Amino acid sequence: MIVGLDIGSRSIELVGLVDGVTELTLRVPTTFDPISQCTKLLDGLRPASLVGTGYGRNLIQRLDLGCELSTITEIKAHALGAMHFFPQARTVLDIGGQDTKAISLAKGKVVKFEMNDRCAAGTGKFLEYTAGVFQISIENFGEYALKGQNPPEISSICTVFAETEATSLMARGEHPESIAMGLHKAIVKRTVNMLNRVSLNFPMVFSGGVANNPCVLKLLAEEINAVLGTDILVPQEPDMVGAMGAALHGNTNC
Amino acid sequence: MGGAVSDSAHREMWEKLDLDLNAHDALLGVLGKFYGDIYLSQENRLQGAEYLDFVLSEIHGLRIKELQEAKAEGRKVVGSFCVFVPEEITLALDAIHVGLCAGAEAGSDLAEQLIPRNTCALIKSFIGFKLAKLCPFLESSDMIVGETTCDGKKKAYEAFNELVPTYIMEVPQTKSKAAHTLWKSEVLRYMAELEKVTGRTITPEKLKKGIRTANAKRRALQRLTTLRAASPAPISGRDALLINQISFYDEPVRFTAKINELCDELENRVESNEGIAPENAPRLMLSGCPMAVPNWKLPYVIESSGAVIVGEESCIGTRNTRDLVDESGETVEDMIDAIVDRYMKIDCACFTPNDDRLENVTALAKDIKADGVIHYSLLFCQPYLHEALKVDKALQAEGIPMLSIETDYSMEDVEQLKTRIEAFVETLE
Amino acid sequence: MDIKHFINFSELSISDLHTWKEEGGKVAGVYCIYAPIELIRAAGVAQVSLCGKKQAPIKEAERDLPASLCPLIKSSYGYALNGTCPFFTASDILIAETTCDGKKKMYELMGKLKPLHLMHLPHTQQGTAPFEYWMMSLRELEDFLFECSKVKVSAEGLHNQIVLQNKIRNELYQIAILAANEKSPLTARDMLAIQESKSFAVFPDKYLARLTALRTSLATFLKQPNLPASQSLRILMTGCPVGKGSEKTIRITEELGARVVCMENCSGLKGMTLPVDETGDPHEALARRYLKIPCSCMTPNQSRLESIEEMVSTFKVDAIMDMTWIGCHTYNAESTTLQRFVEKKLKIPFLHIETDYSESDTEQLRTRIEAFIELS
Repeated sequence: MIVGLDIGSRSIELVGLVDGVTELTLRVPTTFDPISQCTKLLDGLRPASLVGTGYGRNLIQRLDLGCELSTITEIKAHALGAMHFFPQARTVLDIGGQDTKAISLAKGKVVKFEMNDRCAAGTGKFLEYTAGVFQISIENFGEYALKGQNPPEISSICTVFAETEATSLMARGEHPESIAMGLHKAIVKRTVNMLNRVSLNFPMVFSGGVANNPCVLKLLAEEINAVLGTDILVPQEPDMVGAMGAALHGNTNC
Repeated sequence: MGGAVSDSAHREMWEKLDLDLNAHDALLGVLGKFYGDIYLSQENRLQGAEYLDFVLSEIHGLRIKELQEAKAEGRKVVGSFCVFVPEEITLALDAIHVGLCAGAEAGSDLAEQLIPRNTCALIKSFIGFKLAKLCPFLESSDMIVGETTCDGKKKAYEAFNELVPTYIMEVPQTKSKAAHTLWKSEVLRYMAELEKVTGRTITPEKLKKGIRTANAKRRALQRLTTLRAASPAPISGRDALLINQISFYDEPVRFTAKINELCDELENRVESNEGIAPENAPRLMLSGCPMAVPNWKLPYVIESSGAVIVGEESCIGTRNTRDLVDESGETVEDMIDAIVDRYMKIDCACFTPNDDRLENVTALAKDIKADGVIHYSLLFCQPYLHEALKVDKALQAEGIPMLSIETDYSMEDVEQLKTRIEAFVETLE
Repeated sequence: MDIKHFINFSELSISDLHTWKEEGGKVAGVYCIYAPIELIRAAGVAQVSLCGKKQAPIKEAERDLPASLCPLIKSSYGYALNGTCPFFTASDILIAETTCDGKKKMYELMGKLKPLHLMHLPHTQQGTAPFEYWMMSLRELEDFLFECSKVKVSAEGLHNQIVLQNKIRNELYQIAILAANEKSPLTARDMLAIQESKSFAVFPDKYLARLTALRTSLATFLKQPNLPASQSLRILMTGCPVGKGSEKTIRITEELGARVVCMENCSGLKGMTLPVDETGDPHEALARRYLKIPCSCMTPNQSRLESIEEMVSTFKVDAIMDMTWIGCHTYNAESTTLQRFVEKKLKIPFLHIETDYSESDTEQLRTRIEAFIELS
């Protein structure tokens, strides 16, 4: 089995391939002890080769596995994964836990990419943090925000200040759903800027946990004039794309 | 060197210079550790690197002692922050030209009381070094020269001037005839001021010698640039950057001789096809803002990702070494004109338009056979941030990929930088 | 007091621009008070200010510009790109200037949209070489204007424009003094509109007459007995330019019951007390006057402090608010010097506000300004 392990800031995903076919997908939270979380995931598995990606990709060196180990960056992993699910992909957007990436593809290769700078503005973390202000779980936040109407402009893209802004909008009597939608819109706007910088071409694959959020999807499609399902493609399990890409990298290496 | 940059023998001198001894010790401690990790850990380094290690270990020690001895003999020290201050004139007046500390996060909390928080790390650093009493070069300077190359510096010098008298040179923002005229009057004004400070007078012989000394230094650095075109790369980008950094501190004639020796060694390496990195290692070029000692963060991250840096298009790099002063002038007037012409060729982002830089960047990338370019802008440096977008387009047109990095002196983004740079390197494979 | 004319001034001036252009007149769009209106008018070209005071176009600008620039630059460029500024559309030529890094590099891009002339300013007002450099820059502008209008600037024509603009500046300053009277019915936002109108006057003679009429009626109004006198805290606002769309700080200050009685910024009174010398060589007099403008792009910029000191006494100012845009290095850097000057020398309270065009910090600003008013 070839294993891809995507060690992100929020969760760790594992994809196991046997003869190019997905045998296994697993996911656990990262916690403060990613090594033992990885060990747990790998328990009972005997991979021939293991490829790490994500922030913690170098942690795999500390796993005692006795198999071939290698690492690739999450940029390459998401590109490989996206092209596996959708070979016609020209752009990849990944909104993960603490960073957002826009990747432009040509002839099966990464030609240009952008990542947010050091702060968590406009990433999954932003939604998670603000969902907390509404006391709504991150899984339901998108549905909740879709009920909003005429979302107020949230101009702060800083995660910390967006909370202040949301609170003051509430004090002004705006509907919470609309504020929630405004927060989603703020993310989308920032994302679109990034996509434009790598020059957006369709179809675009949207990966990462935030691709599960229906409000982000809807607003994004509106903002870039795209049709969901043809211009914007979301894999079945968008948060597995990185791990899949890593596993595929191992596959071609052997 | 054993990682220890500090030397207790120099304490008395530092005390006389009114440095904050405890903070200075701490700074040298960090610098030594940093140098050990980033430089001494390299394998297969050049013999000539011993000179670099020595200069760096004594940068606040023996070199400052030399400055003090020269001062005792009546010579003056000119400290500056920018390659626009004409070194030829300083040398002609038998003064010593040094760069001032601006490459480390020091005293930045103090600096933020005088200048806005959103000021680039380099500016914050030189103000911080002064406030925290950590730069022996600054404290040894008889004349400190600033220049109007950017908004941040121009206004920071007003605050700096209240701490220590600062002489300002006006650098025009374009290269028209009128701008040449203005710059010439500024060069002459600098000359007159320094004549006053040194109590000496410029003669054609002295100026000629000054021009030759500065040119010889630039020629040695040009030689280094050319040798780095070889594959495998014969020297690490870190060491090459260090050489450029040291060129602002060490005595120019000694420096030139040492770098020429080092280049002889490099020539042998190139001939025997030896390299510091494997032949297939991605070759990257740095472009953008200067990296002052000990700002080695980005080169270290880049070279730890398996790539090798083969050129630096910056003021601590080819922007300062590419052009020579014409040596044919016989009168002071002719030589001043030659100096003015040479300095107005500098393709700093402070100029508009600055299309020369786009040509120079692409030409250098091709000459040194770079597979990709990493554009480095300091946070809040508007001129280079603007140009990053233009350089990207120019390089794209030549099929050379570019990655734009915006960062400062802090270490908090190192992991993120690693990811971006490794991903960039992957795209080159 | 009828100031409707001034409130709707920019809309009205669009129809004036149409008239002007129908008669074959050329239009220059400008961004800065360093644009020498006397020279531009003497070359037969009308001058209008271009849009750059609203948040909306910023997003488009960030495609080509670093996001960390000040909102004024991004907004200006965004408007130029998206074609929603009628004044930009009406402009035949653009006159730009090297007042800051952000702008000067932005103009490299804007120059691809329309014929743009970049005036080169020196960095200092001291010394003869910088002055001669600036003189040369104005000569180059004159050549550029001639290319556009084919009108040669005569010494007499320039002199006449100088006299006219001196009168306009003086009227504006007198109106500002009257408007700051504790019995004046005009608010800071009214004054903002009136001061902004100077940038859109297509027919300066007509405009001067309007100003004179306003000044006279304001003076008459104030002579009435038993007018209620405002007891509000009197604030001088300085820093970066403000206009319709970016006046949130003024709005909040007024909502909190304080009065902005004087604006020492380039959208307000900066330069209004600097007439062009009407004797001697008009070109040189013009160059001297414009180089005296106390902009933070100059180093040193001592005259800004002097100008503020003078306004504090003329306008009976109680406190100073320095409003700067995030990303504006020069005004932000001057804030520290200014604060020291205001607190030590003028001995009045000082508040520095660094913000942008978005509304995201409205509540935070309200708290800060309210606290400032409480302690003043």
